[in-house]
Amino acid sequence: MQTNSWVPLFPEQASTFAWQVDLLYLYLIVISVAFTIPIVVAVFLFALKYREKEKFASGAEIHGSMVLEAGWSFLPFVISMTIFLGGAVVYYNQYKMPEDAMQVYVVGKQWMWKIQHETGQREINELHIPVNRKVKLTMTTEDALHDFSIPAFRTKADVVPGRYTYLWFEANKPGKYHLFCAEYCGLNHSGMGGYVYVMEQSDFDNWLEGNVSGQTPVEQGRDLFENKLGCASCHAGGPQQRGAKLEGIYGKDVHLVGGGTVTANDEYIRNSILNPGSQVVEGFQPIMPTFKGQVTEEQLVSLVAYIKSLSGITGSTSTSQPASNSAANSGSNARTNSNTMTPRRADRGQGNTPGSNPNAPGPANR
Amino acid sequence: MQDAITAEYSGPPKLNYLNNGFTLKSWLLTKDHKRIAIMYLITVSLFFMAGGLYASAIRLELLTPASDLLQTGTYNKVFTQHGILMIFFFLIPSIPAVLGNFILPIMIGAKDLALPRINLLSLYIYWVGGAFTVWALLQGGVDTGWTFYTPYSTTFSNTYVMAVGLGIFINGFSSILTGLNFIVTVHTMRAPGMTWFRLPLFVWAQYATSLVMILGTPVIAITVLLLAIERFARVGIFDPTIGGDPILFQHMFWFYSHPAVYIMILPGMGVISELISNFSRKKIFGYEFIAFSSIAIAVFGFLVWGHHMFVSGQSVYAGLVFSFLTMVVAVPSAIKMFNWTATMYKGSISYDTPMLYGIGFMGLFLIGGLTGLFLGAIGLTVHLTDTYFVVAHFHYVMVGGQVIAYLGGIHYWWPKMTGKMYSEFWGKISAMLVFVGFNLTFFPQFILGYMGMPRRYSYPPEFQVLNIFSTAGASVLGVGLILPLIYLTQSLISGKAAGDNPWMLPGLEWRTSSPPPTENFDVMPVVTWEAYEFGEESGLDLEGARANESVRTV
Amino acid sequence: MSSHSETGKFHYHEPGLQHQFEDMGQQEESVSIGMWMFLVQEIMFFGGLFTAYLVFRSKYPMAFAAGSNHLDAFWGGLNTLVLIVSSLTMALTVYYAQKSNRNMQVIMILLTMAFGATFLGVKTIEYRDKFNHGLVPVQGWNKRIKAETNAEHETKPCWEVDHNAPAIEHPNPRGEFQWTDCSLVKKAQDEGYLTNAEKIGYFSNGEIDANKFRDKVRIFYYLYFVMTGLHALHMIVGLALMTWLLIVAWRGSFSEDYYMPVEMSGLYWHFVDIVWIFLFPLLYLLGRHFMHGG
Repeated sequence: MQTNSWVPLFPEQASTFAWQVDLLYLYLIVISVAFTIPIVVAVFLFALKYREKEKFASGAEIHGSMVLEAGWSFLPFVISMTIFLGGAVVYYNQYKMPEDAMQVYVVGKQWMWKIQHETGQREINELHIPVNRKVKLTMTTEDALHDFSIPAFRTKADVVPGRYTYLWFEANKPGKYHLFCAEYCGLNHSGMGGYVYVMEQSDFDNWLEGNVSGQTPVEQGRDLFENKLGCASCHAGGPQQRGAKLEGIYGKDVHLVGGGTVTANDEYIRNSILNPGSQVVEGFQPIMPTFKGQVTEEQLVSLVAYIKSLSGITGSTSTSQPASNSAANSGSNARTNSNTMTPRRADRGQGNTPGSNPNAPGPANR
Repeated sequence: MQDAITAEYSGPPKLNYLNNGFTLKSWLLTKDHKRIAIMYLITVSLFFMAGGLYASAIRLELLTPASDLLQTGTYNKVFTQHGILMIFFFLIPSIPAVLGNFILPIMIGAKDLALPRINLLSLYIYWVGGAFTVWALLQGGVDTGWTFYTPYSTTFSNTYVMAVGLGIFINGFSSILTGLNFIVTVHTMRAPGMTWFRLPLFVWAQYATSLVMILGTPVIAITVLLLAIERFARVGIFDPTIGGDPILFQHMFWFYSHPAVYIMILPGMGVISELISNFSRKKIFGYEFIAFSSIAIAVFGFLVWGHHMFVSGQSVYAGLVFSFLTMVVAVPSAIKMFNWTATMYKGSISYDTPMLYGIGFMGLFLIGGLTGLFLGAIGLTVHLTDTYFVVAHFHYVMVGGQVIAYLGGIHYWWPKMTGKMYSEFWGKISAMLVFVGFNLTFFPQFILGYMGMPRRYSYPPEFQVLNIFSTAGASVLGVGLILPLIYLTQSLISGKAAGDNPWMLPGLEWRTSSPPPTENFDVMPVVTWEAYEFGEESGLDLEGARANESVRTV
Repeated sequence: MSSHSETGKFHYHEPGLQHQFEDMGQQEESVSIGMWMFLVQEIMFFGGLFTAYLVFRSKYPMAFAAGSNHLDAFWGGLNTLVLIVSSLTMALTVYYAQKSNRNMQVIMILLTMAFGATFLGVKTIEYRDKFNHGLVPVQGWNKRIKAETNAEHETKPCWEVDHNAPAIEHPNPRGEFQWTDCSLVKKAQDEGYLTNAEKIGYFSNGEIDANKFRDKVRIFYYLYFVMTGLHALHMIVGLALMTWLLIVAWRGSFSEDYYMPVEMSGLYWHFVDIVWIFLFPLLYLLGRHFMHGG
């Protein structure tokens, strides 16, 4: 139903119940028009025809009509009941959870969607699913309310802390569709979104095996940074960002929380992605989650390449460093006093003893 | 007797509520409902302007997909504060506290509200609550959305949630006391002969609104109080990490805030009943049905709060029940709509500015009401909720409904309130600009909403065209809203005298002088006519007025 | 015009008739409806709290029973008695005002105030007790006890802590909310009447988790303090009203012709009593059978 017109009126229909929602929508539009036109025409007709002939002349003596009143009480009631029934049927179809669905787990977090497939693959702000297969999402959140919304599938559900909510759909058209967070969740609420990729089964199998398209490392890194891993939601720059600004950082000395300085080189960047809590830059909270297990070595290389490109440096010089340097890294960790990093949110946490607040973000429980 | 009241008064200026004292004290310590209404009018207008500035900032920011005018944090504060100021400090007090305060006692032939000191107290509470909130906004503002959903508001927001919450808590009591006062007044202060079914429909609407205010507002008061305590004490019932329930907050919040939507539309419906009937110079069609539909809306309004929470994880069956009740509550509004239309049939309609607002209201409220059905149909709402469709819908109801009605009411009673007539030409221009600008602003948002654009969001580039339409429309709307400010102020300085009854209408408020004396009537009125009586029984000197009119127009 | 001003003048001499009313009957009716409306909104105000109480009590009955059992039903019962008697003296105040008996009015108002003050005094004792036992849900608002003393309760599983033993002073250097006894959970688990919410809410990895149970008891105490606190605030307002009544009654202003303020203050006072009549069983009594034979 996607039109190529200048002003699109409908989002794409990409799930099995999208047509039902659209049908209900059209039914309501028809009803609205059917109500609006007579009333508007009547108002205009009366307005023209019964325009005052003489100043302060009074209108006809009509007080009301029981028949009319009964009629126009009953008719809207009946129509509204048809709407209710239509809505109820569509809703029931959406909420009757299928038994045989592919399971996907979703965790909302300010401000990214963390998604894990049954087969172990993790993604951030992206969801890859096969076409023509029922998918059931089991969702929760680490912090505030969020809402997992895919307009092309005509469905959404709130994600509530402390409980699980569920959502299912069956995509029936391959493509790339918007994923939004529809429940306001704070500063970067607008940035909390991404895409749902609906793929043919064979492509999906390929994707599960981790095949990546032929991009340069910097392009791949940018893609990871901005979309796939959602780094940009904290590191895109700007005074209110929660993460350090990365433009021009490469090769500079950075001051760490708890004293000490390190040079922002490849190994520092890599370490910061894998063990974010160990070397926190001064002025920032230790809130970055670890990406250990979510990024492959290849992706790390691309990310480092991209971050270097932000400082105007191209070409990868040290792709083979990380393994040999990890020992040195842990040594520097000890020096920079990682004990000072308490896993607590700045404005919260004093009211709870450790352990009573499973949501306390920090390196320890990621 | 009638002649003595309505005859033109020549001689030294008559003592009225405006010129019987000019000191600051005579205003600040007044118990006169009319002076209190004027003070409300000024304060409410200030809040409206502040809220309007925020609205402009939002529309300008949404011209482009990127956040280039406002940073995200600022944008979040701006839409939150737009909502808080407009809802709690403009829409809720607008018609009840300004027009209701001024005109309701006069309409029923009372010297004042039953509890004038409570009325003044209510104004002061409003000021204190408002000052508190404004202080909090100036300190740094609040970014939770006007809905204050937990746990974001209790745990994660770093803004002045507690202070703003307390401001709203305080302000709530102003609303409660106003509602209480109106209920008492309607029960005990009606003039001899003013039976319940002779009451103007504006009074019925105010009565229904007051019921909602008394029954609903205390619940939001305790809810925001619990929110504030929870933020302060860092423990509470909305915190999921210790076993609290963030959804309970939504239930308690919407238990008030859905009925509050009716606080924001019922008084508007009351004003429209006045305008349509009076400017058609014809008895309103189905008086009892309009009166009782107001009460029905007030009662059923308390049973539908769950339709704000269709996707928040409440049970399927709760969702279905709330959807059903939402459909039921649509019926009384439809009845009103049909009755207003039928009232115009065989009328003698004149198109003065207030009537233009009245007709505009019918068009906009029709769309607002019908899109309410979209949002009540549960299967569809899953897709629509939290999108711009919702934003467009409630603006059609609140701005297209209440604000238009408020403007209509201001224009309608302005001659009575001030004794001066505004420029009819500019009045009509502004009414039409508001209507056109409003539709241009908000109609595209329905489409955006169906496309899936979430509210409180920046948007992907493909939505830009419609957003530009919307912003362009908002500028027209803005001009339409600024104009009245200018020509109404101008009318105070150089407007011509309006006379006691410029439109020769039968309501009691048109049977006293303009502006009215402090105790409203020189002689206690005795009502012998039905509401909206334009025939012989009304006792109006129409021939004399016509003669006067022809002299004036020649 | 003239007839109106004459009647106005005639009525003006009635004591306490305000300008907007025609006669005392109208004024009394207005004030009375106004007061009832005010009480309606008060009911809705407390209604929100009672709803919250009901939701959490049905979710976590054992935590509420445990918290409730620790409240002292003696003090609560005494306060109930005090308030009921104060309602009687308040009603008598209205009666003597209607009889134009100034002296008895003053005595009854003083008695009512004395009972009100007693209630608040008892409440203070109870709050103090909670402070000493570390039961104020706000961190830092409890008695701070140095960490060295008496830490052996840490070694026992939480359901074996004897709730009848003299209160152990738990170390509480940061003034945190303290709760160690989860014998009720153990009992409910053994006898199989835990609710579904409780099976999630009190347990970690299949074991009773003292910390998680403590959090639920903390919710009970949070509600206890908010509800009784707001009630106490209403009592204080009531006492202020009484003080004003006392002054006016002392001057002898109330009589059979003019006693509305007394009657209205009485309505308010009775309302505050009734709220307590609901608070007392909900907070102090419900769930006692779980522990004391049931």
